[in-house]
Amino acid sequence: MDDVNFPNIDNFDSAQILDMNKALKRVSYKKELLNRVLNIFRNNLLEKQKIIESGLKNKKWQDLRVISHGIKGSSWTIGAQQLGNVAFSLEKAADNEDYQLYNHLFQIFKICIESFIEFVEMKIPDINF
Amino acid sequence: MKKNMLRFLIIEDDEMIRIIHKEFLEELFPECEILEAENAAQGICLYFECRPNVILLDMMMPLMGGESFLDILEEGYSKNILKDKPKIVVITAIKDVKELMSIGKRFAVEAVISKPLVQSQLKALLDDWVE
Repeated sequence: MDDVNFPNIDNFDSAQILDMNKALKRVSYKKELLNRVLNIFRNNLLEKQKIIESGLKNKKWQDLRVISHGIKGSSWTIGAQQLGNVAFSLEKAADNEDYQLYNHLFQIFKICIESFIEFVEMKIPDINF
Repeated sequence: MKKNMLRFLIIEDDEMIRIIHKEFLEELFPECEILEAENAAQGICLYFECRPNVILLDMMMPLMGGESFLDILEEGYSKNILKDKPKIVVITAIKDVKELMSIGKRFAVEAVISKPLVQSQLKALLDDWVE
């Protein structure tokens, strides 16, 4: 059962799934480049999701710390604020080696990945994810 | 540093961020050369091979992080194995102020910029260095 003090998805709802202005500015308003980097970002997220799953199973806290930190940096860079904020919380949970909290946040993280992919496909129909 | 002699080394594990940095630098300095490494071990090899004059360095990376890169470079200079000092810009998502300050004091580190990188901040630095 989830601890009542744990954050839930609503705690991350106020952050933008993808700040399109920020994302476009980041790539000097080059649409093709944006599609390319969003594709890489999405693939990277799915790959890291698998690594986290295995890292969590084996409680590899240093790996989880580095991966969460990396996701935080790349998410904020491209304007995926919500994912960045969840990754920030994941990083802190890894710092504290808090298995229950990390696992709980990881479930939220997976939902946020789905929302992100859905949002990008809706906003950029030619993205070809 | 002359524009046409500019050689950058980007040490960053995240492919997307490497591409963004690269595109930005190419737009600023179309004649520059850009080398890429996905961890500090690769970065060290490329540094010894190509001697870039500006390095964009991430700190927290799998396999070997930025800290080790700085350690090796520092040792190289202290033992006179290396002669020219590059300009290193650390671009990191580390938020701890103490940690950021201690990185800023490391050998050859000219600036520490927080992720997400504000590109105008990097441009201002480079404009100062490049003739």
